[in-house]
Amino acid sequence: MNENKKRKYAFFLGCVAPNRYPMIESSIRAVFDHLGAEILEMEGASCCPAPGVFRAFHIPTWLVIAARNITIAEELGVDIITGCNGCYGTLRDAWWELNHKPELKKMVNEHLAKVGRQYKGNIEPKHIVQALYQDMGMDYLRDFVKHRFKDLKVAVHYGCHIVKPSDKRPWGGEYECPTFLDELVEMTGAKSIDYKDKFMCCGAGGAVRTAVKEVAADFSREKLTNIRDAGADIIIDCCPFCHLQLDLGQMEANSVYGAMIGEPFKIPVIYITQLLGLSFGIDPNQLGLIKNHELAGVSPFIPIEPFMQKVKEELT
Amino acid sequence: MTESTKEIKVSRNTKPKIGVYVCHCGVNIAGVIDVVKLKDYALTLPDVVLAREYKFMCSDNGQKLIRDDIEAGLINRVVVAACSPRMHEPTFRLVCKEAGLNQFLFEQANIREHATWVNMYDSEGAYDIAKDHVRMAVAKARRLLPLEVQRVKVEPSTLIIGGGIAGMNAALDLADEGYKVYLVERTPTIGGHMAQLDKTFPTMDCSACILTPKMVDVGRKDKIEILTYSEVVDVSGYVGNFEVTIMKKPHYVDQEKCTACGACVENCPITVGNEFDLGMATRKAVYIPFPQAVPGQYTIDMNACVKCGICARPDVCEPGAINYDDKPEYMKVKVGTIIVATGWDLYDPTELKQYGYGRFPNVINSLQMERLLSSFGPVLGKPVRPSDLKAPHKIAFLQCVGSRNFREGGHTYCSRVCCMYATKQARQYKEKHPDAEVYIFYMDIRAFGKGYEEFYESASENYGINYIRGRIAEVYEGENHNIIIRSEDTLIQTPIELEVDMFVLSCGLEACADAGEVASLLSVQRSADGFFMEAHPKLRPVDTLTDGIFVAGVAQGPKDIPDTVAQAKGAASSAAALMSQGEVEIEPYYSVVLEHLCSGCRSCQSLCPFGAIDFDEVKNVAVVNPALCKGCGTCVSACPSGAMVQNHFAGFQLESIINVAVKQSSIENGGK
Repeated sequence: MNENKKRKYAFFLGCVAPNRYPMIESSIRAVFDHLGAEILEMEGASCCPAPGVFRAFHIPTWLVIAARNITIAEELGVDIITGCNGCYGTLRDAWWELNHKPELKKMVNEHLAKVGRQYKGNIEPKHIVQALYQDMGMDYLRDFVKHRFKDLKVAVHYGCHIVKPSDKRPWGGEYECPTFLDELVEMTGAKSIDYKDKFMCCGAGGAVRTAVKEVAADFSREKLTNIRDAGADIIIDCCPFCHLQLDLGQMEANSVYGAMIGEPFKIPVIYITQLLGLSFGIDPNQLGLIKNHELAGVSPFIPIEPFMQKVKEELT
Repeated sequence: MTESTKEIKVSRNTKPKIGVYVCHCGVNIAGVIDVVKLKDYALTLPDVVLAREYKFMCSDNGQKLIRDDIEAGLINRVVVAACSPRMHEPTFRLVCKEAGLNQFLFEQANIREHATWVNMYDSEGAYDIAKDHVRMAVAKARRLLPLEVQRVKVEPSTLIIGGGIAGMNAALDLADEGYKVYLVERTPTIGGHMAQLDKTFPTMDCSACILTPKMVDVGRKDKIEILTYSEVVDVSGYVGNFEVTIMKKPHYVDQEKCTACGACVENCPITVGNEFDLGMATRKAVYIPFPQAVPGQYTIDMNACVKCGICARPDVCEPGAINYDDKPEYMKVKVGTIIVATGWDLYDPTELKQYGYGRFPNVINSLQMERLLSSFGPVLGKPVRPSDLKAPHKIAFLQCVGSRNFREGGHTYCSRVCCMYATKQARQYKEKHPDAEVYIFYMDIRAFGKGYEEFYESASENYGINYIRGRIAEVYEGENHNIIIRSEDTLIQTPIELEVDMFVLSCGLEACADAGEVASLLSVQRSADGFFMEAHPKLRPVDTLTDGIFVAGVAQGPKDIPDTVAQAKGAASSAAALMSQGEVEIEPYYSVVLEHLCSGCRSCQSLCPFGAIDFDEVKNVAVVNPALCKGCGTCVSACPSGAMVQNHFAGFQLESIINVAVKQSSIENGGK
């Protein structure tokens, strides 16, 4: 990469990562720094706001709050990155709507004027996976791979908002069988295995987790069963909310549907930048892969030690 | 109606006397605007001597109004404010001509499409627009000049592009009427997609049995010159006089010497997938597409051939017909008319990943199923599934694959044949395996043709085929490469999961991949769906907007075999009607050179897309060939000296329109 044109991104944190999975935020920062991209803070950013909650009730409210968040990055003059599919869904959909529908932009700006802001639409909200895969590109990333994992079988979970709706996403209309996340995983030498209903929901989305936890746990149960049947060592995802559901959801599924499940689930759930970071040779502590406390009720809920044990040999 | 004996002389200096006729068009115009007020307005315009309004100007009585006024010497120019000139300009021109007035002293103001239809709920707005159109038409009418139509001879011959069932039928009809036909087909045989079909719905006629005699007929007709393995590479000229360049691709087998003994095929070591069987059977690098091919000529596929030389050995090919150095040949023919019958491609379902085509071996497309069912297909009419070559017990069909799809990449139209061919294939399979379970997943069953509804009803009643109304969401592979289908049965509102042995995608028809190239080669238009566009969807279904070029079969839009044959016969009849006149009229809209202004810079010559401009080296001026000029006006705008004038669209005529369009509105809006 040309050093004179160092990549810069405004980092939109969202809610789940900072509150429940700080290791996700930490690993994103570590990996982007390692790849020579500068991360700028978005001072004053609020909730994205959550697509399944705000948008489902009042679209104009959702749009104005999202637009306000985007204006913070516009002031910084750089594209937004976020590590969360939900935030990505909100920011990207709002950006798309506002850049395609002048009447909405006018409405939003009338509201934003009251807080001294204006939406321009001159930056693009991106997912961190999009920034890695498209802005930097596989050829660029491959040069950073230091450790390659042998015999690591990964169940890749995309989540929903990162690929749908396809016309507002950057994947060329692909929504049935995307491969970008699998490609990033396989770059590390790991094997992305096929499993039944790979593109099934984690269970949490659409406020289902909030409203009816047993239903969410039932989704997770089915998904996790398929993942276990396919013989996966770990799950890789790219969304903190999916991460929560696939991690904490294992405990919930075990307790609610124990009789159906048999042997309780204990599949380590790893965020994509944690895996990439390890492969790039970044200190596992920085990636939040070493749990240095014994507190109950603190993430990750499913121990990730088996994963670290499995890749220990390749790291040394 | 006989033409008036009295010819009215009009020249540039004759004082214009314009008659304006406002048409009510029933309520289409009069229901929106005040036509009497519009007529009165017309009377205020310069040189308008009379104005009338009438219910239907295109009716006999309406036409008579104009004729009487002309014959009484009241007017010498005519403006009709009505519908689009595409519709009735020829009608009113004929009225002028019959009354003794030069037909180009007529101008039509389109106040229906441009004003009342698009502003149906805004009477005042529509009226203002209609006024503008009338004012502009009158302004142009004042400056119109009489012109003479040109007559050109028509070659009594036709080029037909595409040798499928459409092209063949058109060729036979034209040959029977005595016209020479050049039937150009890009593959090595005529017959098209119909040759691949096993039986045809709803009568269950054997496709080959009804097609191959036709193919032989086409081959036997002296008047038909079959040019297979050939492509049209250039078309120039105009109606009645097209010059066509055809490339005959090299067969690498000398057709004069070849005795069709087949020894080359037996000895050829190269085996590739046969296109005719969609890759489900093999052929050699040297091949005949299928046994009944016409002409029965051998061809070497140079993409596959390794030039090992075996077939060329004297002990293999005794007549020495093999020629690896064969080159393409180019031939030029002159034809009066062209029929486009290029057919279709099957929609490729690979992109619809949820259906697993290309990922799972037991998902096939409908044309593959047709070949499996065919008695001369790869499995001799005993269908098996690809993964283990066993006869499937449970088969599901999915309708509307690639059709009626409003998502990006899909076709929005209905392909019109899939409901019936799927029903036919399902019935055929049940006839062979009465115990089999056959399911058809559909959105709606469209059984609209003669005998189709009965055919569908019988499939369900007598053959026990299960019709399930629901779109399949996705499929995945179970054990033994079985296909597990997820759908909703929308009639009982229940999600269902169904395991089948084989899954057939009823793919739609789409325009040929190179339809765009054909369109630009012939200067014909395509509609948004990619198929060639007819001149009028109801009244001119086989004409294109380019005179002398007709369209037939699926090239114009999806249709079944009966409709294709009907349209082919229609196209042949229209082409024959044109050629039988011996001459055609060409509108005199060509450009003329004002020699005293032309500086001889030749800018126009290099820009003319039709090669219609020559150069007179002696006078040092450009010369337009009126027969080649299409009246596009490129030379007019390019000429730096203003020496080019296009008849009927001359600069001073267009300026007069612009002047009244601009000046008048600004005055009404308060002006400056």
